[in-house]
Amino acid sequence: METLTISGLSKTYTNGVQALSNVSLTIPVGMFGLLGPNGAGKSTFMRTIATLQEPDKGTIILGETDVLKNKHQVRKKLGYLPQEFGVYPRVSADVLLNHLAVLKGITNKKERTEIVKALLYKTNLYEKRKKNLGSYSGGMKQRFGIAQALLLNPTLLIVDEPTAGLDPAERNRFHNLLNELSAATIVILSTHIVEDVKELCTSMAIICNGKVLLTGNPLQAIEDIKGKIFSKVIKKSQHETYNEQYTIIADRLFQGNTVIHIFSDGDPGNGFKPVEADLSDVYFSQIFGQFTSVKKQY
Amino acid sequence: MLFEIFKFEINYRIRQYNTYLYFIILFLFSIVAVDFIFEGQLGPLKRNAPIIIARTMGISSALLLMIPSMIMGVAVLRDFDHQMESLQFVNPIKKSDYLLGRFLGSFVILVFIFTAIPFGMMVGDRMPWHDPDKLIPFDFWHYLQPFLFLVVPTLFFSGSLFFVTGALSRKLLIVYIQGFFFLIVYLVAINLAKGSDNPFLTGLLEPFTFQTVPIVTSSWSVIERNTAIVPITGMLLYNRLLWIALGMLTLVIGHHLFSFHVVRDKAASRKKKKAGETENKKLNPCTMENQLQQAQSAPMPLVFPQTGIQANVVQLYHLTLFSYKSIVAAISFWAIVLCGMGILFINSFNLGTSYGVNNVPATYIIAGELVELTWIFFVAIILFYSGELVWKERDTRINLLFDTLPISNLINLSGKFLGLMLTLVLLIFTMIGTGMLFQSLHGYYEYELDVYFAAFFVEVFPFLILLGIVCFVSQVLVNNKYLAHLVVLIFIGISTVGCRVLGLDHGLITFGGSLLTTYSDMNGYGHFLKPYLWFKVYWISFSLLLFMIAVLFSVRGTEAGFRRRWQQSRVQLTAPVKRISMTAIIILILSGGYIFYNTNIVNRYASRATQHKYRAKYEQLLKPLTSLPQPRIAAVNLNLDLYPGERAYSVKGQYILFNPAEKAINEIHIQKLPADQVQLEYLTVEGGAILDSTYNYYGYHILKLNQPLQPGDSLKMEFKQHFTSIGFAERPNTFVVYNGTFLDNYHFPTIGYNQDIELEDATIRAEFGLKPQLKRAKINDSAALLEGKSNGDGEEIDFEIIVSTDYNQSVVAPGNLKKTWAEQGRRYFHFASDKPISNFYAILSARYEVLRKFWYPDKENIAMEIYYHSGHIFNLDRMMNGMKQSLGYYSKHFSPYQYQQMRIAETPAYSGRGQSFPGLISISENVGFIMDIDDTTDMDMPFFIVAHEMAHQWWGDQVNPANVQGKTMVSESLAQYSALMVFKKEFSEQKVKKLLRWNMRQYLKYRSGKAMHETPLSLVGSKQEYIHYNKGMINLNALQHYISEDSVNKALQRFIRDWNSYTGLKKQRTDRYPTTNDLLGYFRDVTADSMQHIIQDLFASVILYDNKLRHAEYEKVSEKQYSVTVTLDMKKMRIDSLGNENSAAIKDWIELGIYSEDVHGKENLVLLKKIMINSTQTTLKLFVPQKPAKVVLDPNLLLIDKNMADNEKSFNNL
Repeated sequence: METLTISGLSKTYTNGVQALSNVSLTIPVGMFGLLGPNGAGKSTFMRTIATLQEPDKGTIILGETDVLKNKHQVRKKLGYLPQEFGVYPRVSADVLLNHLAVLKGITNKKERTEIVKALLYKTNLYEKRKKNLGSYSGGMKQRFGIAQALLLNPTLLIVDEPTAGLDPAERNRFHNLLNELSAATIVILSTHIVEDVKELCTSMAIICNGKVLLTGNPLQAIEDIKGKIFSKVIKKSQHETYNEQYTIIADRLFQGNTVIHIFSDGDPGNGFKPVEADLSDVYFSQIFGQFTSVKKQY
Repeated sequence: MLFEIFKFEINYRIRQYNTYLYFIILFLFSIVAVDFIFEGQLGPLKRNAPIIIARTMGISSALLLMIPSMIMGVAVLRDFDHQMESLQFVNPIKKSDYLLGRFLGSFVILVFIFTAIPFGMMVGDRMPWHDPDKLIPFDFWHYLQPFLFLVVPTLFFSGSLFFVTGALSRKLLIVYIQGFFFLIVYLVAINLAKGSDNPFLTGLLEPFTFQTVPIVTSSWSVIERNTAIVPITGMLLYNRLLWIALGMLTLVIGHHLFSFHVVRDKAASRKKKKAGETENKKLNPCTMENQLQQAQSAPMPLVFPQTGIQANVVQLYHLTLFSYKSIVAAISFWAIVLCGMGILFINSFNLGTSYGVNNVPATYIIAGELVELTWIFFVAIILFYSGELVWKERDTRINLLFDTLPISNLINLSGKFLGLMLTLVLLIFTMIGTGMLFQSLHGYYEYELDVYFAAFFVEVFPFLILLGIVCFVSQVLVNNKYLAHLVVLIFIGISTVGCRVLGLDHGLITFGGSLLTTYSDMNGYGHFLKPYLWFKVYWISFSLLLFMIAVLFSVRGTEAGFRRRWQQSRVQLTAPVKRISMTAIIILILSGGYIFYNTNIVNRYASRATQHKYRAKYEQLLKPLTSLPQPRIAAVNLNLDLYPGERAYSVKGQYILFNPAEKAINEIHIQKLPADQVQLEYLTVEGGAILDSTYNYYGYHILKLNQPLQPGDSLKMEFKQHFTSIGFAERPNTFVVYNGTFLDNYHFPTIGYNQDIELEDATIRAEFGLKPQLKRAKINDSAALLEGKSNGDGEEIDFEIIVSTDYNQSVVAPGNLKKTWAEQGRRYFHFASDKPISNFYAILSARYEVLRKFWYPDKENIAMEIYYHSGHIFNLDRMMNGMKQSLGYYSKHFSPYQYQQMRIAETPAYSGRGQSFPGLISISENVGFIMDIDDTTDMDMPFFIVAHEMAHQWWGDQVNPANVQGKTMVSESLAQYSALMVFKKEFSEQKVKKLLRWNMRQYLKYRSGKAMHETPLSLVGSKQEYIHYNKGMINLNALQHYISEDSVNKALQRFIRDWNSYTGLKKQRTDRYPTTNDLLGYFRDVTADSMQHIIQDLFASVILYDNKLRHAEYEKVSEKQYSVTVTLDMKKMRIDSLGNENSAAIKDWIELGIYSEDVHGKENLVLLKKIMINSTQTTLKLFVPQKPAKVVLDPNLLLIDKNMADNEKSFNNL
């Protein structure tokens, strides 16, 4: 069983944006969730592992293989579904999948036909396999993306926001598929949907502004903040005052008023009631904790 | 709002680096535009004459049409391409404001970019290397005026068109190729318009004015051409207004059609329909659903990816097919293919010859035509689809999927490249099919697939491979699709033209090496093939190396910065890449070395510059020696062993040299043919001499005689000369070839200085401080009068030759074939002339077939033989008949034929002409042998060509004109006349008129194309074919019409009697040779006093008419009488020696023909009236007994009329 070890990964784009800053992670076989807000550096991180980009610093080791130096080796075991991708509009799904299969090295025709057929079934595209990809809806295209990522029985599967645009049924189906695979595969799943991680992943990392804020088991993380989350219903106008006093990690509207969650080691009083923490509280406490610490520096 | 959009557009463009890039490209181009367009053929015109500036700007604006297309096409498209349209169109902007603002903004930028042309040209004209004599004083207006009035309207029209197509099509590819397409369509239109005789229409419709300007200035004198500004009036003004109006119309239509919505209605409805379909399909039966469930829950089959060579081959094959299919699936591809097919269809195959009739559709002609008509589409496909393929993944944004595939750049890029090549190969097969179809439709079934394959896969395909590789490399390295195309063009420009300008013209340096010499049915590709292939091997291995660079630097992943790619390139340097690169380097070095060894070590390589220097030096050093008196050749005896298979010969020769002068000759100067393959083994003279080798470098040998050659004395000179071909030279020659060797007397040692070696081009001569060459010595040049066509080497000789050649070849040479025998597997031919012949002989050797007939004049018979290449049997009977009729007519009317046989021998296509030697005519295979003559409509040109060459046995051989002005009137014009007379006897009047009209047109066409001023026929110089061939025929025909054929023949008979080289009554009393002065004397003698002015008009002046039948009507007087009233406009012009046209008083006989039409629609001449005209406008009334159908002014084509089209009127009111 191989492990993916990432150490000291840093990347700054030419426009000055620091996308990754000294990221170190160890990712074992199984599902690994990568949580983070938009622009956190998730995609950069995943592209770097997927051999599409060079970091400025750091190493990535898959089992024994140095990913950055042996890209070709890694690509043979890699499945990758980028967050955004296009397809050839005038080519049908089975033709393109077949084409990709050849390029992935499945040159045995029988094998190829079988895997293509199986994947089309698994992604529920078999019926539409003869249709040009140009006529596919966003969800169908996404499923096609999933199918191509699984072509090689990959040992490293990187999926970047895979369920965006899928309806609940398809999303479910995909989650099952991932789950099935994760027995023998390193699956890295990036998302900003906290629920996905909770449902699927055995380990996770929260990443923000290119930094890893937290790593570990999702349940463990929830356990760690148990009893530290409190909520209160406040008026919208009071938000400002509360924000100065407490670390608000979440707020949502409830019948015209605002429900806020705060993070506190002890009972903050002031009408706050303890709530049962879930993964989104972990996530937001990390994110906002990060911002607060930034705030404090100034 | 309009102004805001306009301002935004300008600001946007100002910040684009493209704007400046285009400006710089145009600027650089304009600096050399004049040289590029006129190629130094300015003649007497100055480099910065306003008319030259105007024409250059016109042509430049057409050639650079790609730039308006790029600038204007993207003005609207940009929003779609960047998918900004949703944001843009929801803003409260009026459609007209949006479009007009964008248009005006881009147009202003476009005009700014094109101001680079006048500025570039100004700078170009000021470059220090121009000869100040070739310039007129600088005037800013000369540049600004044509820019404002010619270029800006052109830009407006093309800009409008491209703007609208870009906005409507919303396709970048269309924007990108429309400029190119427009240019192609335009070129096709020009081609089609060539046949039309209506310059007004051409002038009016020409969008770029580069044809209009010459039309409106066609009557200008040289002085006007050099000073006057092209006025924007008349035709030119209408032309400009027309195109501006069309531009506006295009904009209005574009505005009307442009839809200001994000999704166009058509697309939207289609989408809806699709959505409906899918909904229907969702109603699947439950059982299906179950099956699906099962399939989905089944475990994933295991796959075992393959690596290694076998897998790579499969992948390569797959990628090739995939790329090929993706090209073929593209609509744009079919647009290009259809366009190409359209051109083939419209233009059809040009089987035309320069003789006004067609050739048979022989395979090599059809293949050549296919290549010529469509190569530009092949280039277009390579240019565009190399870009499309390299950018295929990134354009559809599938690249992130592709870049993680475990496939190497090498296989990926190679697959794409092979896919492109496969597309081309299949297109080529289609073209071959088209060609064969065309041949079949013409009833020609000798398909010769090997010739087709060679034409495409040997001549063209290597170039396509090279171009393809360059395009791929450029796409990868430049990493900007459109810029990369430009880089390719610049690269090709620099590596071919650029290198040549720098004097680097060796095929090892100029990219791709040189082209393959024309295919010949007789000789195939001959000895040219081997070096050609070596050069291609060299360049393809070079390109392979370039391709490996592209492989190393291919963009993979999300970072395309060059620094990153540089870092990555080391990773990409995999074992296969290394192996291929090493192999390529080894092949490159080996083939390059082998080529260098052949071209520069075994053979001598001389760059153009070196050759020029050699020729200039030759003239400077040796011309002074011409003052030394030299002997003349009186007899030639050669013993020639030809080895066609080895392209070699050795010849032992003996000349009898004779001293015709009054002083003793102390040294004899012998010129060897200046070719390295030719070596003189020895050169000796009777009585002995010391060989002075000072000028050996020039092949110029001086024999210092031990005993001077006394006046009237002769001596024997002996030599042995070898021709050896070892390896191959950079520029192979055609002296000795495998099949169809053709050697003439200039190939063997000649006497003294050889003017043919001199540089000809005046500009190059000037570089070496040499004055322009005199085109032909003055008619009264006493030294030149002593020389005939052998330039004074001895004009009449006794001739004997023994030639041996390969056993399967025959030899043709002048003289009686005394004996022929075989010996040691070789064939021997012994020819000897029983009387002197002119010193202008040829020896031909090829695998000939022979057709032999006899002509029986009153005494003994004369053998007529045609030596032809197997299969070229189409016109043998016509040629044979031409020979026979000519012998009959000429010996009856001029003088008896002088030899006992007449031979015609076919030569390979290299010379492309017919030549007449004593008793021997050589005709190139592509001239008469493969013409396709339809007896009902076509002029029988094989007959005519033979009749013409036959006439040279009299005009050229019997009468040898002096080497002065008018020489070619005696040889060529008289040959034209003689052939016409024979032709007239044999064919219908209609065909004779067709021939005359064709010659008239040729004359008018080439006369307007010449910058050099025109001389009268009797003073015609060299290289004025349109005068001595075309005008010569018209004017001599007119003469015989005026004074009768018999009178002209009588004059010619006397001319021969007095001036033939061997027994001429006057010739025997003088050393000089006859001139046109002598000839015109005989003409005058047979011309009535009242007609004497005709001689002056036809031969001693340049006269042009612009006559017009202004008006004609008829009235019925009675059943048997009709009156016809005609009004004539007459204009006679005399062209002076400076090229000015001056109107001349008319006092000429002019013919008017009235035709009636019988019930079958056949025209009959009912009245031919000769009228004396002496005013510019005349109204006449004529009576005819039948209803007139047509009136024709000058029906017999006696006057050279600038515009023949307005000389007739038909009465259609039946």
